Amino acid sequence: MKPAEPIEPETAPKASSNLVQLPLGLLGFEQMKNYALLADPAEKPFAWLKVVDEKPLSFVVIDPFVVFPDYKPEIPPSDVSFLGIKEASDALLLGIVTIHGPNRATMNLKGPVVINRHSHIGKQVIIANAVDYSVDHPLPVAA
Amino acid sequence: MLILSRKLGESIVIDDRIIVKIIRVDGDVVKIGIEAPASVPVHRQEVYEEIQRNNQQAAVKPGLPLPKISVVPPKT
Repeated sequence: MKPAEPIEPETAPKASSNLVQLPLGLLGFEQMKNYALLADPAEKPFAWLKVVDEKPLSFVVIDPFVVFPDYKPEIPPSDVSFLGIKEASDALLLGIVTIHGPNRATMNLKGPVVINRHSHIGKQVIIANAVDYSVDHPLPVAA
Repeated sequence: MLILSRKLGESIVIDDRIIVKIIRVDGDVVKIGIEAPASVPVHRQEVYEEIQRNNQQAAVKPGLPLPKISVVPPKT
């Protein structure tokens, strides 16, 4: 089977889209399984995980390592095999961002969305070391 | 739901490989020890509820104006 094009939200040209399937949905949004990962360079380091074929619903996402280089999520082996991830470079991690206002945004480090870059299958994973992290880790917002 | 009574120090075994043991009972707090293979994720239920609430809070309509964030460059 020919692998799909790798997902590169950081370098994707404006208005490009990459389809991502989350067979289990997101927690609380289990019925929504199909998403497009959209990245506009003007909005870096943010990207959008947008529900396809459903309500106009989106999640703002971010590569957690860009803002938190010391993040060390432990992905449970059952999730690694569910996603078919063979090595770390196969996985794209996205932190779901909550925009609280123009000056406050947080990201969820307990439950990142992990996507296989080759198959575009993803899952919201509760990391094994979830107790070490928060669901509302503050992002450094420019004043 | 299967309901079992256990005394302090007693256990139950799930699927021949997961052992749940009552370690301590102190008022309304029960300390539970869980022995499971590394491949079996074990979390407090609150973690699921917390992430679910966070997702609901994070869900937005497309086109929301995004804040500027200053990015800390990864350490070399």
